[in-house]
Amino acid sequence: MSFTHLHVSTAFSAHYGVSWPEELAKTAAAGGATALACTDRDGLYGTIKHLKACMDAGIDPIVGVDLAVFDDDGDHRTQVAGRVVVLAHGNNNGAGYRALCRLISDAHARTSGKAGGAIPAAVTRGELASRTLDPKTLKPVLTVLIGPDSDVGQAMGGRKYLRPRTLFKQWIDAMPPGTMVAEVVSHLSAPGEPLSTAHAVRMLKLALEYNIPAILSNAVRYCAQDGAATADVLDSARTLKSLPELSTAPLLQPTGTLQPTGQGWLKTPHQMLQLSKEIMNAAGLGKADLTKLLTNTEALADKCRIDPVLDMGWKKPVVPEASIIGIDADPMIELTQRCEAGINRRFPGIKGDAGEHLRTRLEHELGIIGRLGFASYFLTVAEVSRMILDMGVRVAARGSGASSLVNYLIDISQVDPIRHDLIFERFLSGRRSTLPDIDIDVESAERHTVYRKIFDRFGAERVTLMSMQNGYRARGAVRDAGMALGMPDEEVGEIAKQLWRFSARKFREALVEKPELRDFAGRVERGAMEENQQLDLLVDLTERLDRLPRHISMHPCGVILGDATLLDRTPVQPSGLGLPMSQFDKHDMDPMGMLKLDVLGVRMQSAMAFAVREVIRLHPSKAEVVAAGRHPVEPGGAGPDYIAPDGRIDLNAVPFDDEPTYELIRSTHTLGCFQIESPGQRELIGKMAPREFNDLIIDISLFRPGPMKSDMVRPFLEHRHGFAPEIYPHQDLKPVLEETHGVTVFHEQILKTFHVMTNCGLDRADEFRRALGDEVREPGVEKYFRKEAIKNYSPEVVDKVWGTLKAFGSFGFCKAHGAAFAVPTYQSAWLKAHHPEAFLAGLWEHDPGMYPKRLLVAEARRLGIPILPLDINRSQAEYRVEKIQQGPDQGKLGIRLSLTGIYGLSGAELKRIVAGQPYDSLADLRARARVSKPNIKRLAQLGAFDALHKDSGGKANRADLVHHLQALQSSPSKKAADVIDGQLSFALGDIELRNLAPELPEPSMVDNVRAELDLMAVDVSEHLMDSHRPLLDKLGVTTADKLLGLRNGTEVLVAGVRIATQTPPMRGGRRVVFISIDDGTGCVDSVFFHEAQQESGPLLFGTRLLLIRGTTRRTGPKGISLSASKAWDLSRPEALPYAELLPAEVGLPEGYTHHGPLHGISRNLAITGLGS
Amino acid sequence: MGLFSESVGVICTDTGHPREVQWKGTRYTVTNEPVRWYERRQWWLEESRAPLGSGAGLVDHEIWRVQLLPTSADAETSHPITLDLVRHVGSGRWRLLRIHDAAPARAVEPEEAA
Repeated sequence: MSFTHLHVSTAFSAHYGVSWPEELAKTAAAGGATALACTDRDGLYGTIKHLKACMDAGIDPIVGVDLAVFDDDGDHRTQVAGRVVVLAHGNNNGAGYRALCRLISDAHARTSGKAGGAIPAAVTRGELASRTLDPKTLKPVLTVLIGPDSDVGQAMGGRKYLRPRTLFKQWIDAMPPGTMVAEVVSHLSAPGEPLSTAHAVRMLKLALEYNIPAILSNAVRYCAQDGAATADVLDSARTLKSLPELSTAPLLQPTGTLQPTGQGWLKTPHQMLQLSKEIMNAAGLGKADLTKLLTNTEALADKCRIDPVLDMGWKKPVVPEASIIGIDADPMIELTQRCEAGINRRFPGIKGDAGEHLRTRLEHELGIIGRLGFASYFLTVAEVSRMILDMGVRVAARGSGASSLVNYLIDISQVDPIRHDLIFERFLSGRRSTLPDIDIDVESAERHTVYRKIFDRFGAERVTLMSMQNGYRARGAVRDAGMALGMPDEEVGEIAKQLWRFSARKFREALVEKPELRDFAGRVERGAMEENQQLDLLVDLTERLDRLPRHISMHPCGVILGDATLLDRTPVQPSGLGLPMSQFDKHDMDPMGMLKLDVLGVRMQSAMAFAVREVIRLHPSKAEVVAAGRHPVEPGGAGPDYIAPDGRIDLNAVPFDDEPTYELIRSTHTLGCFQIESPGQRELIGKMAPREFNDLIIDISLFRPGPMKSDMVRPFLEHRHGFAPEIYPHQDLKPVLEETHGVTVFHEQILKTFHVMTNCGLDRADEFRRALGDEVREPGVEKYFRKEAIKNYSPEVVDKVWGTLKAFGSFGFCKAHGAAFAVPTYQSAWLKAHHPEAFLAGLWEHDPGMYPKRLLVAEARRLGIPILPLDINRSQAEYRVEKIQQGPDQGKLGIRLSLTGIYGLSGAELKRIVAGQPYDSLADLRARARVSKPNIKRLAQLGAFDALHKDSGGKANRADLVHHLQALQSSPSKKAADVIDGQLSFALGDIELRNLAPELPEPSMVDNVRAELDLMAVDVSEHLMDSHRPLLDKLGVTTADKLLGLRNGTEVLVAGVRIATQTPPMRGGRRVVFISIDDGTGCVDSVFFHEAQQESGPLLFGTRLLLIRGTTRRTGPKGISLSASKAWDLSRPEALPYAELLPAEVGLPEGYTHHGPLHGISRNLAITGLGS
Repeated sequence: MGLFSESVGVICTDTGHPREVQWKGTRYTVTNEPVRWYERRQWWLEESRAPLGSGAGLVDHEIWRVQLLPTSADAETSHPITLDLVRHVGSGRWRLLRIHDAAPARAVEPEEAA
């Protein structure tokens, strides 16, 4: 006997389903099923995974949804009356699937797309009824299952016999004939409870009475019984109520309740037969009715079997119609013509061998594109790219798309693939039928505008954003597990804070291993002994939640482009941005043949665009820019061509050979530069000392988990610096590996190695590369390689090369990616070398990097760039570079702080302040900018009125002013005298400020810096470590700038504020923690190995100010780091072990109780590099 | 009616239905078609661990309502008694959950049973 489960929630029913589609399909197939449904709540979130899982398991997929229905008699916008399951009929060329997609989009059309919206995802019964028939044929294409969660099922409690019947009749009246069945479910709960056999019997009898087919389901939420407890925890997370709460007052829970039993698993056909017998028995019905129930179920299953290809377009690529991009001719001809035009632009005057080479390459690429029929795909991407350029937004292609000459010629990419020897087959080959990925980077600040423009350009019916699934990670899992158990929020929060990047599934393992969890592990153990097992349970439940999807959100960059049928193929729902978002994620794109463009907002692109605008604003002519940036001028010339007469710099035209740029990179002072600012990268460039653009490509490609983990870096550096001779496995491979000194770094080299040794062709070589590291496919590749290579090479060579391929192949880096990344890396370093003030202003404005903004402010201080304080009349809504008019820094360029990012100041206030500048008095500011009292006080604390105050001639100081404003804040406000429009107010200066009595002492530097940190998360007046310096000097602490002068292996103490914490994967699997601190003279990068982690325990991840003892490790001519042995919390100086730190005869140093500006600030984590 | 938790011996039919019950040294025969259902447990209070793979029986347990008469011949005059027995799904052990009044067993609504 076979039984088909028609009502199954997968884990993609967020906070509801427990099991993954793969488990469910495998289990169903193992039990002898020939089909399985996936009916996730509210959408098709798991449907494509279900399709694949069913195909792998050799059973037919059935697709549907579990949807809420609005109450016909209630408020149509908010009140729902139960849920129903809707299944799509199959084998009708997608008519059923189409209707399902549209129905689900209907259900979401009214929602806000924001969390906690008042309007639920639900359909009206009218919408449901109208979607069940195909609009063309008017035949039923959907079936609605009225089950235990429907209004009918919910009305079965108690003794109201009439109510369920009335509701059932309403459904019959509303639904077209043949579109509705009754769903009989028993979870064997106590008689009379929901999901009891008694209720199942009543549903069955209703169906019999009205001659509606009844089917049997088990309303599955988990694959096996074990999942029931996880479902309980998910119920708690969904309803935001603890399990004790949910279980004590089930009737008082409007949001739902716990499952009455744990019987909602994927029962076997035999168990389902037993269950149906039990129901029939209780109903007093016989064999005939039993057979009928099961036959109905299978008949519906048969009707709903989906053909993935014919119904859902499995793996069939769909791109926008050529007409939409303005092409009437054959797209292939159009593409060829555009490439021809591109040759003249990109390679003017090319001829001879080079020209020949170019032609051959182009024909090769166009041949493949033509055979795959992807011409309109390339034209579409080119269209998007050109549209963005026309908007004046910086745009760059990233990723393997840079491997294509076609992309370069039609302006999708900025990297010349011939010059960098990039292989087209890495991007696309005749042996792949899926659409290749082209990633486009745009300025982050313009990303949403770009999205809207794409919607406008292609039409809302052809475009939707892609979504992404957000699954439970350790911190979220422990929070929700704690809530389920009813633990206090603070307690759970404390535990969550200590969880540092490991999978929730390994929680118990982590308790044993991780020093920062030592305290918690102890509590778990003591709890178990004292019979308080809550913490033990907490660990188990956290592990249960691991990876389960929590919600979907807008993917940070994916835009799906299709033809006019796109919305027949994916349901959409509003994103937080308001634009529609597909319910499918990136894993669903290839299976569904969807063209996804990655339009990624890159903050660095915004920062660079900002810097270029600042340069031209300050230096509005070519001569001024050339002088300010010390750009090269040939004798008698006016300076480089990439600077326009009006001073505009064309960054993309800057040649890649600027020596000052490479000098800056080699100095390792690369904070703020794209891709090379992290502690690890600074160490690597210090060792590598890049001299040319290709070095940057190699550097970026080497700094990846794979190469770092497999120790490729050391041999590479040894060969590069000539410490060890370069070794090639065979002379034939020398041309392939020469640029990286014999070390295999790039995917491209793996492809060529395969090709050189087996003559397999680059397209097959790329398939082989993809198979590396895949348990199933790799052995085949090895067999082929050995068989072919042995024909021309010795067994030793074959062995050695295979070893390399096997080891590096799965995680080497695509050179095209590296090349595409290296462009903004070079450009940002170029800006930092030539226009540091404008560049830093851009960085402050757009905050692109991995560090807290305050570190980049510290970097300006280190570079001697004046940081100009907040000033109510000079500060704008953006950071601005200013030429300093007076004082010791006269003539220098400084950066003026912006009014954005002040705690409490609203966007509207900010706009009014800037619009009304300048102000001659506080009264003027109050009257015209209408800034709230607390914000006026905050501005005063930050010194924004200091200049105004000074100009007024008042004798008081900032503290007096703050005190005065504080007093005003608590007095009732008087209505300010209205200034009549058109009447000029007399410039009287500020009487209020002038008359302020000087009473209080001037605020200390520490007070000022504390206010800055508290309100802006930036230390402006001085570095926050400066006030700690006297104590640190007594302790003999070494500053960052002095470290480079020390010998390797010197024991030192260093101190600073945390800016970054990283735990990269390491060879051997033992965790290494990198902590970087900033002490005002630079960064100290320290590494904590196992023992130092044990010594430092909870300080590893929880502290902002650190005192670290360690020994210096020289990493290169300009690089030095610290191998830490122990760390202390500097924010509690009174608790430092002075006896250990100072010689015996010295007493406690003066100022050992000094608390710096960070003391007492709890508000802003953006100050330090905690928790990133 | 009272709530208890003492061990009882149960012999089942091939289909897993209780046939005979051994309770307080007396053997009883099940005289009706027993009613079976599942009830949820407050496992977060009752259990100290709930690791993945704990299997069945964490969230609910199986309840059987049986009507019994003593098996011995001299007990013909005695009234039938109704018991709710609970079977632990994991271990298969039986315990007594409730004793109902001697009145004929009838499925009681959960409010009454609680």
